[in-house]
Amino acid sequence: MSEQSPVEKIKIASRGLRGTLKESLQDNYTGAVREDDTQLMKFHGMYQQDDRDRREERSAKKLEWLYSFMLRLRLPGGFLTPEQWIAMHHVAGDHSTGTIKITTRQTIQLHGILKSHIKPTMQSFNLAGLDSIATCGDVNRNVCCTSNPGESPVHEEVFRFASKISEMAKPKTRAWYEIWIGEEKIGEKVEEDPLYKDRYLPRKLKIGIAVPPNNDVDLFINDIGLIAIIENDKLIGFNLAAGGGLGTTHGNPNTYARLASVLGFVENDEEKILKAVYETITVQRDFGNRSDRKLSRLKYTIDKLGVDKYREEVEQRCGFKLQPAKPFQFTERQDRYGWVKDYKGNWHYTVFIENGRVLDGEGIDLKSCLYKIAETGKCNFRFTANQNVILTDIKEADKAAVEVLLNEFGLIEHTNKAGALRKNAIACVAFNTCPLALAEAQRYLPTLISKIEPLLEKHSMKEDDIILRMTGCPNGCGRSPNAEIGFVGTAYGKYNLHIGGDRLGLRLNTKFKDSLNEEQILDTLDNLFDVYQKEKKQEETFGDFSYRKWIL
Amino acid sequence: MLSEDKLQKIKEFTSTLSREELIWLNGYISGKAGSLQPSAAGGALTAGIPKKITLAYGTETGNAKKLATQLAGIAKKKGIGVKLAGLDQYRFTDLAKEEYFFVVISTQGEGEPPLLAKKFYDQLHETQVELKKMKFGVLGLGDTSYAQFCKTGEDVDARLEALGAHRVLPLKKCDVDYEEDALHWIDNVVTALQTLVGSVPAMAPPAPAEEKKPTGKKHYKGTIVTSVNLNDRGSNKETYHVEVSTDEDLDYLPGDALGIIPPNCDAAVEQIISLTGIDPNLEIQTSKVTAPVKELLQKHLNILYPLKTTIKQYAKITGHEIPEDTRLSLPDLLKIYPVKDAGMFEEIVKILTAQAPRLYSISSAPGNHGLNEIHITVSKDEFYVEDEKRTGVSSEYFSTKPVGTEFEFFIQKQKHFRLPSEDKDVIMIGPGTGIAPFRSFIAERDAQAASGRNWLFFGEQHFVTDFLYQTELQDYLQTGALTNLDVAFSRDQKEKIYVQHRMKERGAELYEWLSNGAYMYISGKREPTSKDVEKMLVEIFREHGNKTEEEAEKFLHQLVEEGRWEKDVY
Repeated sequence: MSEQSPVEKIKIASRGLRGTLKESLQDNYTGAVREDDTQLMKFHGMYQQDDRDRREERSAKKLEWLYSFMLRLRLPGGFLTPEQWIAMHHVAGDHSTGTIKITTRQTIQLHGILKSHIKPTMQSFNLAGLDSIATCGDVNRNVCCTSNPGESPVHEEVFRFASKISEMAKPKTRAWYEIWIGEEKIGEKVEEDPLYKDRYLPRKLKIGIAVPPNNDVDLFINDIGLIAIIENDKLIGFNLAAGGGLGTTHGNPNTYARLASVLGFVENDEEKILKAVYETITVQRDFGNRSDRKLSRLKYTIDKLGVDKYREEVEQRCGFKLQPAKPFQFTERQDRYGWVKDYKGNWHYTVFIENGRVLDGEGIDLKSCLYKIAETGKCNFRFTANQNVILTDIKEADKAAVEVLLNEFGLIEHTNKAGALRKNAIACVAFNTCPLALAEAQRYLPTLISKIEPLLEKHSMKEDDIILRMTGCPNGCGRSPNAEIGFVGTAYGKYNLHIGGDRLGLRLNTKFKDSLNEEQILDTLDNLFDVYQKEKKQEETFGDFSYRKWIL
Repeated sequence: MLSEDKLQKIKEFTSTLSREELIWLNGYISGKAGSLQPSAAGGALTAGIPKKITLAYGTETGNAKKLATQLAGIAKKKGIGVKLAGLDQYRFTDLAKEEYFFVVISTQGEGEPPLLAKKFYDQLHETQVELKKMKFGVLGLGDTSYAQFCKTGEDVDARLEALGAHRVLPLKKCDVDYEEDALHWIDNVVTALQTLVGSVPAMAPPAPAEEKKPTGKKHYKGTIVTSVNLNDRGSNKETYHVEVSTDEDLDYLPGDALGIIPPNCDAAVEQIISLTGIDPNLEIQTSKVTAPVKELLQKHLNILYPLKTTIKQYAKITGHEIPEDTRLSLPDLLKIYPVKDAGMFEEIVKILTAQAPRLYSISSAPGNHGLNEIHITVSKDEFYVEDEKRTGVSSEYFSTKPVGTEFEFFIQKQKHFRLPSEDKDVIMIGPGTGIAPFRSFIAERDAQAASGRNWLFFGEQHFVTDFLYQTELQDYLQTGALTNLDVAFSRDQKEKIYVQHRMKERGAELYEWLSNGAYMYISGKREPTSKDVEKMLVEIFREHGNKTEEEAEKFLHQLVEEGRWEKDVY
C-alpha cells in the first residue's frame, strides 16, 4: 500500500482536531494559521482563504496576502428560526464582509472573517444555538433535505432525519467548544469516537435526503442519499443510494463524476435507517483510499469494491439485509418560487436569490428586507439547495404582513421578473476568495446569463426551465456536471462547455467544447439552440435533445 | 597543528596537482570539514564557501515561497548567507550584479509563469543584459499531469544561460511531491558552491561593527529606484519605503540617518514670485548662499515654516501688525500681509532662515544591501493649517517623486545608536516608522550570521493595513534571524494596545534577556511612546526582578550607563 497522504498524518496527530490551533490564534504577526492547522480549521467549519485580487498589490507593499476565513454553519436541512436569522445578520455585519451567502448545501457561509474575529464570531453563533462543527473537512458535511414543507405531508417526518443523521455523524471531540468558546478541557484524554476514530474519513462525505417528486437537493450527487418512499401519504421507508460525487481534476484521467447507485430499501424504522447510513459511512472509512486524496471519495471506493460488494459489506455490518429498492419518480429539480400553501393551511414564500448572495445594494435590499421580516417573528427560514430562501410556516393571518414587507422592498417583483434560466442557475464562489478557482463563476455568471437571454428570446426558449451551472474549477461545487448546460473553468476567461445532462439530475453531461471564451460560448449556444428548436421532439428538453443529438 | 609526517604527505601529493585540481580539492576539503562540524555550530561560517547567495522565488500559490524560505534556512545553517528575494519585488536592474543566483519557481496552468513573477519573467526575456559573472541554478516546481511540466523553470534556466550566466548545477524539475527533491537540490547547491570557491573572487566581508573614521558631511548623488507606499488601501497612514541607488560607494552603518535639504514645492515658489512681482533671476546674497531669487526660494530658504523670530522681523519690515502666535507660510503671509513692492521683498529674502535638513533613519544595511544602495522609511506627515490640508515638505518630496528622480543627500552619523558585537542579544522597540533603523539592524545581523538573538516589538494602528515590512519580518522569523516578534495594533479592538503592553505580557522573558546582557533600543516618538515604554520597563523590573521602585529605576539607569538602553527618538 502506498504511503498515507500528509493530511492523514495531521488528523491522527491532532488530538481530537486540536492541533496547535490555540497557538495559531496567538501568532499575531500573521493573519494565517500554521500550516497543519489550515487542514484542522476545516473540521471546525472554516477555510483559510485570501483575497486573490489583492495578492500582487499587497506583495509589493511587503504585506502578506490578505488572509481571512470562510465560515460555514451546520444547519441540517437548512433551517433557521427568526431569532437565529437576526443573530446571523448581526454577526455577518460585525465580523465578515457583510454578505450572507447561501450555499448549494442549504447552509450559509460568511466570508472575510479575520483571524482575530473568529472567536467573537463563534461565540455569537453559539449564543444563538448555532455552530460550524464539521461543515468542512473529512467528515460528514451539512445534511441536505428537500426544503419546502409544502411539498408533502411527510416532509416534517423526513426533515427530522436530517438532524438525526447530522447528530449521529458529528465528531465527538469537544475541541470546537474549547478552542472557540473557551470551554475548559476535562482531563488530558482525547474523546473516544467510534465512528471517526482518530483518522476521520478519507475525504469529505455528503448526505442528502429527497422527497419525490422534487429532486431539489440533487440527490444523486451525494456520497449517500436517502429517497423518501411514500405510499398513501405515509412514509414507508427510504431507498438508500451511495457513490455520488461530481469533482474531477483537470488532466487526471483517473478522476470522474459519478451519480449515486441505489443500494436498496430500508423500512421506516428509525434505528435501522440510521444504522444503514452509519455503516455506509464506516465502509468508506475502512476501505477508502487514504494515500491519494484525488481518489478518496466514496464514489471511487464503491467502484473499487463493486456496488454489490459494498452493499454486502454494509449489510454484514448492519446485521440485516437491504430490501430491493422501491420505485420512485422525480419530475423536477427547481424551487417553487412565490407562495405555496401546505396541507395544514400554512403558507411558504420562496424568494429568488441570485447565486445565494444576500446583501443590500445591486438594485435590491435583500438583506434589510429579510432582517425586517425576521424581526416580525412571523416565519421560519429554510434554505434550498438551489441557493434560495423560503420564508416558511406563515399562518394565514400573518401572510399579509409578510407580503407587505416583501412588496415594500421589491422582493416579489424581483422574484417574478427573473427569467427561468437565471432562476435555475447555480455558480460556485470561485474568485476572489476560492484558492482553487481557475476562472470566475459567481461574479461572472449573472452577466453571461444576461447575454444568453436574448438568444433564448430569439429561439423562443425564454420560458424553458433549462438547468445551467458554472464552476470555476473541476471540483464541482456548483454541481455543473449534472446540468443541462455546464461550464467548467479551465483558465481565466475560459470554460469547457458540457451538454447532455438531463433536467432532473439523473444523467451526467459530457464535455462538448474545450476552453471557450465568451464570444465562442455565445456563438456555440446560438447554434445549439437553433438546431434544438428546429429538430426537437415535442416536450423534449434541451438536455435530452442535446444528449440524443450530439453526445450519443 | 598537523604532524610533520602528515604535512609532508600533503605537500608531496599537492605538488602533483594542477591549479584546477587544487581548486577542486579546496572545496572538497572544506566540504569534508563542514560535514564533521556538529550541527549545533549553527551560524559558524564554513571556510571557503561564498558568504552570500541570492535565493529568488516566483510563487503563485505560496508553495515556492514556502519552499525557498525553508531552503534558505537550511543553507544558512550550513554557513551560507542567503538573501531571500521574492521575484514580485525583485529589481531587475540588480540582476547584472548578482554573483550567486538561485531560483525556485513554479509553473502555472498551460505553462505560464506564476502571477507574482510574471513581470520578472517578461523582463528577463525582453531585455538584453550581460550576466557573465553570475553562477546560477534553477529549481522548477510543476505538476506532471500538465503538458507543459515545469515550463517556466525551463525557460528561466535557458534564458539565464543565454545571457551569459554559468550554470553550476542542472535544472531540477519537481513534481507535486517536491519535498525530497528540493532538499537534495539545496544540498547540491551547497556542494557546488564548495567546489566553485577559489575560482571566483571572494565576497567582501561584512562591514565591521566598530566605528569607521568620521568623514564629515560628504554629499552623495542618489537616484530613487523604488518607492512604494507600505500601507494598504483604507489606512489612515501613508508610509513610503524608498530605495535609492548611488554610483559612489556609501559610507554608513546601521543606526545612521540620511539627511536631505528638501527643495520647496514649485507651486509655493511661483506663488511668491507672482505675489511680490520680484524678478526671479535677480541675484541676492543671503548669509550662506548667493543665487538668483528663484533658486534661493526653491532650494535654500525656509519658506514654508518661518520661525517666530522671522515673522517678527517680517512684521517690522512690512509695517503690519501681526499677532505674536501667528504660524503662517511665506505665501500665506504675503497674501494676508502684503509687501509694498519687490524691493521690500528683497529685504524679506535676506531675513529668511536657511532650509533645515531633514533626517531619516536609514532602513537598509550595508552588509545586506551593499554599498551602493540605501533605503529610508518616510511617513507622509500630513497636518492642517487653518483647515487646509498640508504635507510636510520633505515627506511630500519622497511621496511624490517618481522612480528615476535624482537628489543629493548626506549621511548623518548616529554614534550612540550602534549594534553591539555579534554575540550579544538585541531587543528593538520600533513602533510606526520607528521600525526603520531596526530593519537595518536585523538585516545587518542576518548578513553577519550573528550568534546573538534578536527581538523586535512593533506597533501601528491596524494589522491589515499598517504592518510595515510584514513579509520581511515574517521571513526573518522563519529563518531564525528574528527570535521573537511581538506586535501591537492599537485600533483593532476596543481597548488600545501599544508596544509597552506587549512588553508587559512578555515581561519575564524580557527581564531575563536584559539580565543576561541584552542591548535594548527604541526608535520613534519621544512623546508618548518612549516615556510610556520607560514607565513600563520600571514596572517589569519590579515585578520580574523583585525590585523596589527605586531599585528598578536604578537598573534602568545602569542599562543607560552601560550603553544597553539607547534611544533614537524625536
